[in-house]
Amino acid sequence: MSQDVVHLLVAIGVVAVVLAWAYVTKRMQKDFTTMTWVLIPVAIAINIAIGQLVLVLKLPVYLDSIGTVLVGVLCGPWAGALTGALSNTIAGIIFDPGWWPWIPVAATIGLTAGLCANAGFFKTWWKVVVTGFLIALAATIVGSPIAVLLGGISASGSSIITAFLLQTGKGILESVLTTNFLVEPIDKISTSLLAFAIIDGLSARYLARFPHGENAQLDQQKRTSELVIALIVVVVLVAVTIFFVVPMLNQ
Amino acid sequence: MNDRLSFYRKKNSLIHRLNPFTKLALIFTLIVIGLFGTGYWTASIVVCLVLIPLTFISKLFWEYLRVVLRLILPTATFMFVMQSVFIPGGITEIFHLGPFSVELETVQRSFLIVSRLFLVISAFAFLLLSTHPSELMSDLTRRGLAPQFAYVLISTLQILPQMQAKAQTIIAAQRSRGLDTQSSFIRRVGSLVPLVGPLVFGSLVEVEERAIAIEARGFTSTHVKTFLHDVPDTSADKVIRWLLVALVVITLILKIWQS
Repeated sequence: MSQDVVHLLVAIGVVAVVLAWAYVTKRMQKDFTTMTWVLIPVAIAINIAIGQLVLVLKLPVYLDSIGTVLVGVLCGPWAGALTGALSNTIAGIIFDPGWWPWIPVAATIGLTAGLCANAGFFKTWWKVVVTGFLIALAATIVGSPIAVLLGGISASGSSIITAFLLQTGKGILESVLTTNFLVEPIDKISTSLLAFAIIDGLSARYLARFPHGENAQLDQQKRTSELVIALIVVVVLVAVTIFFVVPMLNQ
Repeated sequence: MNDRLSFYRKKNSLIHRLNPFTKLALIFTLIVIGLFGTGYWTASIVVCLVLIPLTFISKLFWEYLRVVLRLILPTATFMFVMQSVFIPGGITEIFHLGPFSVELETVQRSFLIVSRLFLVISAFAFLLLSTHPSELMSDLTRRGLAPQFAYVLISTLQILPQMQAKAQTIIAAQRSRGLDTQSSFIRRVGSLVPLVGPLVFGSLVEVEERAIAIEARGFTSTHVKTFLHDVPDTSADKVIRWLLVALVVITLILKIWQS
């Protein structure tokens, strides 16, 4: 059996074990109440609607995971993962099956958002920025092997960057990683901030109905100092990644 | 944006009369054979000799062709070209294009990948063209799929056009109040909020009402539910399904045996 197949089977095995553990220890069930089941279609619809809206306004980001992050924060990591997976599945059914290979990435986005929120990292602006960055990191790590499996080239514009990097002699994994590290953080941090803004605008009574409503009890802090801290954190994180992490991963 | 929610086209054909689960099993088998089948031309053969005749039998050939031309062919061609030109590691050069050279091995490899991708997408397109989503969900629920999943899928398909319509209304309303959607970058970023805000909050507030409504209709009840519409499952369906299982097993055994 070729190496790729072995890696794939190991990855699937690990995911299966984690999911089984979450199910058996009843961690997963806590996430899924009726409110969750009703929120998920709305979150998927938000993903798709806002993604389309952003295209109309011709902005250079995707913003197609806001609903996923929202479910992750309010209902927990497992519900968030399911939302991401279903969102890409349905987008594949309705628009273009090219969405389907990226299902694990979308699931990772929801999972990471939920885990960060459970750790209390969704309560102030700068914490949300860190969460967004972690989501971008996780999405890139999960997405790069998938991109490599598709030959490093997908049907999107960032493939041009990847192709250029390939021609300059870099390996496939390194080219894909570098491309994604440039594009993902902006999108995911904006997504998390928008999800945060949405939660900020909902009433406490409404939020308390969700399984992890406590993640949505935001700390009241001074707006400007928070934003400044947030911006500094973004710059630091992005610089660290580009100059230290990417070269390290290529050894 | 699609103005139709699903690809489903209602026709009177043998395939349409099959049980939806059988159709699901059928395309699953085709995909397994295409992806795991040994041999370079397996995926292409499955597409030409199995899938396309099936589209003729189910009178869906022209719809299928339209889907291929609109969705699959552009993506597949783009990937084929990009992979042929940019993947390094070929030996025998075919031709030059400026600084890029195209090698035989790369072309062969990218054709293999693209033909498999074509098969997978075509199979799913065929499933969607020949199966009504509600019927499929209904049948799967009867076979043991948690009703919550069926609810989520069908509900999303219903909410999406509602949301699109709402979004169009909000855009028109805000534009009539002077919202600028066509000038500078900063203005456009600013216009995101008055557009997204009403859409998102309006939909979220509905969530609570909906949850109460479906709970009042027994959503979380674990009693066996009776279905309004019967989805037929004939013995022919059962025979076909067992044949497909056999095909999958054979293919996998061959693959493991040969490697």
